[in-house]
Amino acid sequence: MKTLLRLILFIFMVLTISGCDGQKHANESLTVLAGSELKDMEPLLGDIERKTGIKLQMSYSGTLDGAEKLIVGEPTDLAWFSHGKYISLVQGDNNRILAQEKIMLSPVVLGVKTSVAKEWGWAGNPNVTWRDIAKKAANGELRYAMADPASSNSGFTALVGVATALSGSSDALSVKDIDQAQLGGFFKGQQLSAGSSGWLVDAFVKEQNRLNGIINYESVLMALNRDKRVEDSLVLIYPKEGIITADYPLMLINGEKREVYNKLVAYLTSPEFQQKMMEQTLRRPVIPQVKLSAEFASPLLVELAFPNDLAAIDKLLFSFEDKHRRSSHAFFVLDVSGSMAGGRMKSLQTALKNLTGQDQTLSGRFSRFRSRETLTFIPFDNQVYPSKTFTITDPGSQSADMQAIRQFADSLKPLGSTGIYQALQTAYRMATEARRKEPDRFYSIVLMTDGENNAGISAEGFAQYIASLPAQDQGIKTFTIVFGEANQDAMKQLADITGGSTFDGRKSLGQAFKAIRGYQ
Amino acid sequence: MRKLIAPILTLLLVLGLGVGIYVSVNEQLSKQSIVTVRGLIGSEKEDFFRDPLVVAALAKQGLAVEVEKAGSRQIATQYKLKDYDFAFPSGSPAAEKIKREAGVNKAYEVFFTPMAVASWKVIAGILEANGIVKQREGIYYIIDMTRLLQLIAAEKRWSDLSKNEAYNVKKSLLMGTTDVRQSNSAAMYLSLASYILNNNNIVDSAGQIGQIIQPLESLFLRQGFMENSSAGPFKDYLVMGPGKAPLVMIYESQYLEEASRANSGISDAMALLYPEPTIFTKHILIPFNDKGDRLGAALADDPELQKLAIEHGFRNRDAAGFRNFLKSHNLTVPDTLVNVVEPPTFEILEQMITMIEQRYKGN
Repeated sequence: MKTLLRLILFIFMVLTISGCDGQKHANESLTVLAGSELKDMEPLLGDIERKTGIKLQMSYSGTLDGAEKLIVGEPTDLAWFSHGKYISLVQGDNNRILAQEKIMLSPVVLGVKTSVAKEWGWAGNPNVTWRDIAKKAANGELRYAMADPASSNSGFTALVGVATALSGSSDALSVKDIDQAQLGGFFKGQQLSAGSSGWLVDAFVKEQNRLNGIINYESVLMALNRDKRVEDSLVLIYPKEGIITADYPLMLINGEKREVYNKLVAYLTSPEFQQKMMEQTLRRPVIPQVKLSAEFASPLLVELAFPNDLAAIDKLLFSFEDKHRRSSHAFFVLDVSGSMAGGRMKSLQTALKNLTGQDQTLSGRFSRFRSRETLTFIPFDNQVYPSKTFTITDPGSQSADMQAIRQFADSLKPLGSTGIYQALQTAYRMATEARRKEPDRFYSIVLMTDGENNAGISAEGFAQYIASLPAQDQGIKTFTIVFGEANQDAMKQLADITGGSTFDGRKSLGQAFKAIRGYQ
Repeated sequence: MRKLIAPILTLLLVLGLGVGIYVSVNEQLSKQSIVTVRGLIGSEKEDFFRDPLVVAALAKQGLAVEVEKAGSRQIATQYKLKDYDFAFPSGSPAAEKIKREAGVNKAYEVFFTPMAVASWKVIAGILEANGIVKQREGIYYIIDMTRLLQLIAAEKRWSDLSKNEAYNVKKSLLMGTTDVRQSNSAAMYLSLASYILNNNNIVDSAGQIGQIIQPLESLFLRQGFMENSSAGPFKDYLVMGPGKAPLVMIYESQYLEEASRANSGISDAMALLYPEPTIFTKHILIPFNDKGDRLGAALADDPELQKLAIEHGFRNRDAAGFRNFLKSHNLTVPDTLVNVVEPPTFEILEQMITMIEQRYKGN
C-alpha cells in the first residue's frame, strides 16, 4: 500500500513538474543571420529546440554579404558567423552587436594528401611553415583548393593568416607589411576557387585526382577523412608561424531578445551541448570542462594576431584579387532574346555595370572585375552574335576598360527567340582554345537566360558535345543564372554536367552575378 | 484494497491542487515585494550575479538583479545610462568616467582585486631563466617588469629569448589584453606600464606622457584585434593553450574563481604571475536611482554577500575570510600585496588612451 501511495505521489509530482516545465519552455523563435559554413549545425537545431524551447530560423549568407546586411540594418534577432572580428571592424561606431559569446572553435589549416605529405616530409612534422607551403605552391607541386576570400569566411581567414605569417613580422598585419612577392607564389598553387566553403569541398572531392591540397576549417577537413570522402586521406598541416582560429561568436542584434539569447547561450556553452557539437561537427569546445577527443591533433596551436586595421584588410583583399590570385578568363553567355525587352534588359545591364565598380557596397566593391582578368561576352537569341572580349589593365571604375564594358552593356538589344546550347557551344569552343594557349588561368562560363531553349541544338546534343570533349578540354564549369521563365531543371542539369552550380537571379539578377564572382 | 485507490487519488488531486494554488499565490505575493534592478557590469562579475547563492542572498534583501555585460569603459560612452538603475564597472578610472557622464556623485566600493598575469609553467620557466620572473614561497612574481616592458617595446619575440626550448615560437613578446579603448583591465595594464616606463613614478604631466607614449602605444597596437571585455581573453586562455597568448593580463579574481570551481578549467600546466609592482582594480558600483542605491548598499554592507564575493575570488575588508577561502580550495596566492602602485589621475589616463585611440584611427 505504501509503495502504491508513493507511486501515485510520484506520478503526481512528475505531472506537476512537467506542467511547470511546459510553461517555462514556452516556444520562442529567433531569426539568425548565419554564415553558410554553419549549415552543418542543422542536425543540432532540433536538439536545441527540445532542450531550450528556442527555435532558430537560420538564413545563410557569405562573409561580406553578411557583414553588409548587418551594417545596413537588415532586421534579425541574432547573427552567427565563423568570426565576428571583421564585422566589428566594419560596423565602426554603428554598434549593432549588443552582446556576443564564442560558441566553438576551428582553426583554418591546410590539408594535403597523405602520399604527398610523406614524400615532402610533412607528415608528423611540426616544423612546416607557411613559407615552405608557399615554395611548394610557387613551383607547381602543391595544387590546392581555397574559397574566395571576399565571399567566404574560410578563404578570408586563410588569406589573413597567410599574409600575416608571410609578412614575417608576427604582429598584427598593417598596410606596410603585406609581402607582395611571397603571396604571389603562394596563390599560384590555388587551382580551385569557390564562393562558399561547402561547395568548395564538394568540388574538391570530385576533382581530387588533379588536386593534392585544400585549405579550410580543421573541422571540414577532419570530416572529409572521417566520412571517407577522399581516397588518399588528408594530413592536416598546422604551420609553425601560426594560424587563425574561427570562434563562431553568437551575436545579439535585437535587444528585445536578450533574455532568450542568454538562455540560448547558456545551453550552447553547456558541457552537454559542447560535447555533442564536438562529436558531430568536429569543432573544438569553448569550455575547459569538455576535453578534446583523441581525433584532434593537439600540437601547440600558435595563434596569429588578427588585424585591427580595416585599411590593411581592404588592401589585402584588393591585392589578392588584382595581383596575387591566378588571373581568370570568364565567359558570359547572355540571353538577349525578345522576351528580355524592357525591365529585364535593364536589370541585366545594371548587373553588368555594377561589376565595373559602380556597386559601392561592401560585397560590390570586392566583386568587381579584377585587374588582369579577361572577359568575353557572347550575346545570343536564335543566333549567336559576335563575341566581345575585354582585358582589364586598370580596375578603377572610371578607367577606359571599365567604361568600354559599360558601353557594351548599353549596346545590348533584345530580339529574336532563344538558342541556348548553340551559344554555349560557341563559348566552350572559345574557352578551350584560350585555355590551351594560357593554361595557368581560371576558366569559367556564366549562362544567363530568361527562357527555354527553342532554337539550334538541344540539351541532349549539348551533353553529347561536352562528353565528347578530349580530356585536356574538359573541366570548364558553367554557372547558370535562372531568370524570368528559364527552365530551372534544365539549368541545374547543365550546371551538374559541367561541374558548375546554379544561381537564382529572379529576385535580384545583380546579386546572382555578384555571387558567381567567387567562383570565377 | 483496490477500492481505496479511487478515493485516495481524488483526495490527492484535491490536496495537490490546493497546495499548487497556495504555492503559486505565495510566489506571486513574494515576487511583488522584490524589486528588479537593472544594470551594466564588467564581464568578470557575470558569474557572481548568476550564482544561485548570490541570487538568493539578494532576494533576501528584496532585490532581483538583471545585468548586461559591457566593457567597463564602454559603459560611459556607448549606453543610455538613463535606461539602467546602476553601473558596476571595474576600476576607479572607469567609475569616474561614468560618474561624470551620469552626473552622479555617489559610489560604493564593493570589492577589489589585484591585476595578475595568467600564464603557463613553461612560460614562467623561460622568464625565470631570463631573470624576469622569480618564485617565492611557491608563487611566481614578475620581478623585473622594467626589463619585460623593454623587451616588448623593442619588439622582441619569444624565439629571441635564451633557454626558450619549451616555447621557441616566432610570436612577438606581448602581454595579451582587452581593447584599451573599451575595457578597464587594459587600462590598468596601461597605468602600470606607464608607471614603470616613467622610471617608477606615477605619470602626472603631458610632458611625461610625450616621453613614453610610443612604447605604450606599441603594447596595444601590435596585438591587432582585441576584445571589449576581460572575460574574452580569459576564456581563450582556458581553452586555447599558450599558443594563443602566453601572457594574459587578467584580474586575480578571474583565476581564483575558476580555480575554486568544481570541475575547474585550471590545469597543472597553468600558472598565475604577479607583476611587481602590481595595481589594484576597485569594483565600484554607481547607482543612478534609489533602486541602484539599495543594491549598492546591500553589496557593500551585507556580510553574506561580502562572503559570497570572496567565493568568487574577490578581495574585500574581510581578510580572514579571504584566507579561509584560499585554504579551503588549496590555493596559493599572496596574502597581502605590498608593492602596489596607484593609477594616474583620471585626466592623465584619459589623455593617454585618447592618444592611443588616435593611432588606431591612423593619425
